[in-house]
Amino acid sequence: MIPDRIIEQGTLTTTGARSAVEVRLPWYRALPGSCIAGAKLRIDGVEAPTESLRWQMNGREFGFDELVDETGEWWFPTDSAVLSGDLPVEADDAEHQVDVDLKLYIPYIIIGDGETLHIEEHDRKTMKAVQA
Amino acid sequence: MTRALGTPIQGVTLYSFTRAFHAREYDLEGLVRKVAAEGYGPGLEIIGFSSFRGFPAVDDAYAGWFRDLVAETGLVTTSLAVNADIGIHRDRLLTQDELIEYMTLQIKAAAQLGFPIARVQISITPDSMEALAPIAEAHGVTLALEVHADQYASHPRILALRDRYEQVGSPFLGFTMDWGATVTGFAPSLLEAYRRRGASDELLAKVVDLWNTFYEQGPPADQAEHGQRFGAFIGLAAQNGRPDLGIDFGINGTGLFGPARVDDWLEIMPWIRHVHGKFFGIDETGEEPSVPVRDLVRLLVEQGYSGAISSEYEGWHWNHWQSPFDIIRGEQAVQRSAAEAAGSRMITDAAEARRILDSHLAQPVRG
Repeated sequence: MIPDRIIEQGTLTTTGARSAVEVRLPWYRALPGSCIAGAKLRIDGVEAPTESLRWQMNGREFGFDELVDETGEWWFPTDSAVLSGDLPVEADDAEHQVDVDLKLYIPYIIIGDGETLHIEEHDRKTMKAVQA
Repeated sequence: MTRALGTPIQGVTLYSFTRAFHAREYDLEGLVRKVAAEGYGPGLEIIGFSSFRGFPAVDDAYAGWFRDLVAETGLVTTSLAVNADIGIHRDRLLTQDELIEYMTLQIKAAAQLGFPIARVQISITPDSMEALAPIAEAHGVTLALEVHADQYASHPRILALRDRYEQVGSPFLGFTMDWGATVTGFAPSLLEAYRRRGASDELLAKVVDLWNTFYEQGPPADQAEHGQRFGAFIGLAAQNGRPDLGIDFGINGTGLFGPARVDDWLEIMPWIRHVHGKFFGIDETGEEPSVPVRDLVRLLVEQGYSGAISSEYEGWHWNHWQSPFDIIRGEQAVQRSAAEAAGSRMITDAAEARRILDSHLAQPVRG
């Protein structure tokens, strides 16, 4: 597992009201959208509302409820996805602490009676925000 | 002994270089060229879902490009590692028919890309292996189910597969031997990684003692005992003020460092079609301190094994301070030395490797 690479350094962007950061897969092989079970985005300790989160991958944007059945789009290990949410940040010279939590299902590891292994990974990095 | 000594084929899986690929230091072509230039081959193993974008869909132009690259670099494709993603839907597991269809696409991809073996995993049942046998045969791809810790050769699930193979009688069904099932110690490089995360020497000594106790007891008889051992690592971490390390101790202590003995492999030896030379590090004396590489190579040579050994470096998960390329070079030197000590040699010439792999498997790939 490679959780220290989840957040791409220097990719925090903001429109003022919404913020986004590029994220990397902390796993060695591609996973389909259906295995991307959830994420959290916090900036300077403030969490983006869950319902405002969007996931952009392969040029398409999804809500997490839309990823549940998505077995056509895959997150390749060298690609960045973009996680965004309603979170106001100033695009000034200040450093911001970015936290991302990621929950992934590992579809080939069945741990119990029909239960698929999931992993929860976290990364924290500090960076400036850039105007989107 | 009347059996002819084996001549295993040297090789590597690109999984060993996961960090470098993930960090975009090398793309697939760059890694393949690096493997050839550094002499880590001739055997080349690749994980489909790691290295091929869009896998298992492979178009002819891409397959042609890949085959040309392999030919140009003088490597020999051995195993394509495929996955049985039976949990791909959030709310249910794949049905048997869906699983067969899912695996068929990957078997076709293996043939198309020129891999004579597809490594499959434990989540495939004996019934599914039996159903897949004619599909494997039609595409000329041998299915080699990986025996990986916390399983081991004499584990009931593996013996059930072996017995079914015997019943079915297809030369296209077999096993991949993963050396992580027969480890002799908790990897020192992982202990060093925990030390760097602030774990005390006292706690780490207890982790080693606990693993050694399980080694003395031998591998877990069943999933319940496996679960108890996992829980013991979590408990140890909690009792010593580092509950944050508990799951990590458990995953690695039970899932990477399997405590079966080397001769346990004899239970399935005739069905071993491919080998993952799993290891975790090379020490200052040039040896692997926790995987009995020399004993494992000797066993394979003496048993007449002439398939491929893919060096599979797993220490990349925690070892951020050493180059995986240097470590692979070190482990392959141990393998070659061990094969010579056993009165044989590792195959490092591509043409010889192709010929030997073809005769080791039932027949050449028909891709």
